[in-house]
Amino acid sequence: MTATQPTLRAPSNRARAGALMRSTPAYIVVALVALVVVFTIISPEGRFLDATNLQAVGRNSAGLVLLAVGLTFVLGAGHIDLSVGATLVLSSVVAGTVAVDIAGPPSASGAFPSAGPAIAVAALAAVVVGGIAGLVNGLLVTKLKVNSFVVTLGTMGVATGAAQVLTNGSNVAGIPPDVQTSFGLNSIAGIPLPLVLAVVVALVAGVVLSQTSAGRHALAIGSSSDGAMRAGVNVQRSTIAVFVISGLMAGIAGFLDITRFGTTAISGHETTMLQALSAVIIGGTSLFGGRASVLGSVLATFIPTMLLAGFVMVGVSSFYQNIAIGAVLIIAVWLDQLRGK
Amino acid sequence: MIVRQPPVLRATGLAKSFGHVQALRHGELTVHAGEVVALVGDNGAGKSTLISCISGAHLPDAGEVRVDDRPMPLGSIKAAMEHGIATVYQGLAMAPDLSVAENLFLSCELRRPGLLGRLGLLDKKAMRERAWELMDSLGITTLQDVTLPVGDLSGGQRQVVAVARAVSRAGRLVIMDEPTAALGARQSQMVIETIRATRDRGLGVVLISHDLPRVLEVADRIVVMRLGRVVADLPARELKIGQIVALMLGEQNDPREESLPA
Repeated sequence: MTATQPTLRAPSNRARAGALMRSTPAYIVVALVALVVVFTIISPEGRFLDATNLQAVGRNSAGLVLLAVGLTFVLGAGHIDLSVGATLVLSSVVAGTVAVDIAGPPSASGAFPSAGPAIAVAALAAVVVGGIAGLVNGLLVTKLKVNSFVVTLGTMGVATGAAQVLTNGSNVAGIPPDVQTSFGLNSIAGIPLPLVLAVVVALVAGVVLSQTSAGRHALAIGSSSDGAMRAGVNVQRSTIAVFVISGLMAGIAGFLDITRFGTTAISGHETTMLQALSAVIIGGTSLFGGRASVLGSVLATFIPTMLLAGFVMVGVSSFYQNIAIGAVLIIAVWLDQLRGK
Repeated sequence: MIVRQPPVLRATGLAKSFGHVQALRHGELTVHAGEVVALVGDNGAGKSTLISCISGAHLPDAGEVRVDDRPMPLGSIKAAMEHGIATVYQGLAMAPDLSVAENLFLSCELRRPGLLGRLGLLDKKAMRERAWELMDSLGITTLQDVTLPVGDLSGGQRQVVAVARAVSRAGRLVIMDEPTAALGARQSQMVIETIRATRDRGLGVVLISHDLPRVLEVADRIVVMRLGRVVADLPARELKIGQIVALMLGEQNDPREESLPA
């Protein structure tokens, strides 16, 4: 170290704390706290703050958290994945069909003797279907060099259609209810199991994005694909990887869907992709790549689910949720642009 | 008199077409260790295409590249890097959203020691420290903070980071495409100093530049290209700017050819 070396070598702890306070996740936490306070005040007898209600919010958020985590990687790498909602549906349909096939009909007492293995294989099937869907997206984007918006718009249609063809358009019935009782409706220390799973997956994903070469490479290609390639990053491999991650997340979310409802929800996910995408952008991930925050995405997914729960509780039609999310999305991006200037 | 080892780089017969456009017809380049070779020519002469073929960014249609007299696989940036060739591109090849330190180590990240490293976790602190050491060793004092995003730096600072990255990665040869373009006089001088420091480390340097006075200041040899071909390869000390321009424009042939017996 020479004497002329500038002293501004690394930000001080105080500067870091200041930066944290001004970061997007901090703003989202403030917004979430504000939502809780407002809904608690205006809900009858403050019931919004009830454990049952908060558990429902958590349970409804789990799948969305996973989709948002996957999309964080894809957007960070400068791409988009419009097919996550459709992949979720296809994965749940395949998983449901597999579960029914393996479990067979219930015994006279109504129990499914081989429910355990059926559920395990169904979970695996959902993840595999999601992973394959992501791989297909990644290969089409990198090998055919078709824009990811177009590719995933196409595969969104393909996956939705495939799910409808497989089931003739009706939801899969006869899935062992154990899938709900043993997992989907279960909790650890009051926290719904699906949410625990989603948060653990999100934690791992957050470490991968911010602390590993794979994460740096994804953001580098989102920042400048050409620059990353010339710096020695394997752009094709990284691009395929982010789509596979997104597909895997949709696959897990598809399985969670079954554990939540005990059946599939083929027509229940028209706005799911848009909700997850909105959450990711509200969470501070750039729509144009290069900047991404798993924490921001995860926190922001609670905005739509809390709005919905709150509206239901205070007697406002749930249709207003979409209006509110649309407004929040535009305001969040506008605020982000103001901060960037 | 320098005893000549095999050259660090010997590229022969390189050709590259883009559709109907033959950007490079006959590219040849030889660089020895501790030598600065300037590649000059008018726009479209094929300079950038030639170095892209050598750096692995383009797969040439024909030709061969040998490093230390061993053939190098073509069309792979990774292979070129593994053979000790690092390139500073005109577009700089930086990820503007990533920090200086992250860009310096992009695709060569340092991992933490022990189990965490084997799990793939990065050693960000070590990368920041090594980034400072690198800046120090090249006498670079313009950067205040290696955690800043490269997109927040001035053009000159970005150039310095790009050169530092190439020098840190090159085992044999650094290729620089217009490293002083769009820089002020002081920052250009700093880059020239860095080029000298690079040569003094025993690396070969290929320098593409339109800045002929600076080229003559630092280069040992001048290679002139015109219309996709190398038309002259001469010691820099024998040349004046007017002669180089005449060669670039095709108004004068290689003086050696004229003096050689038929």
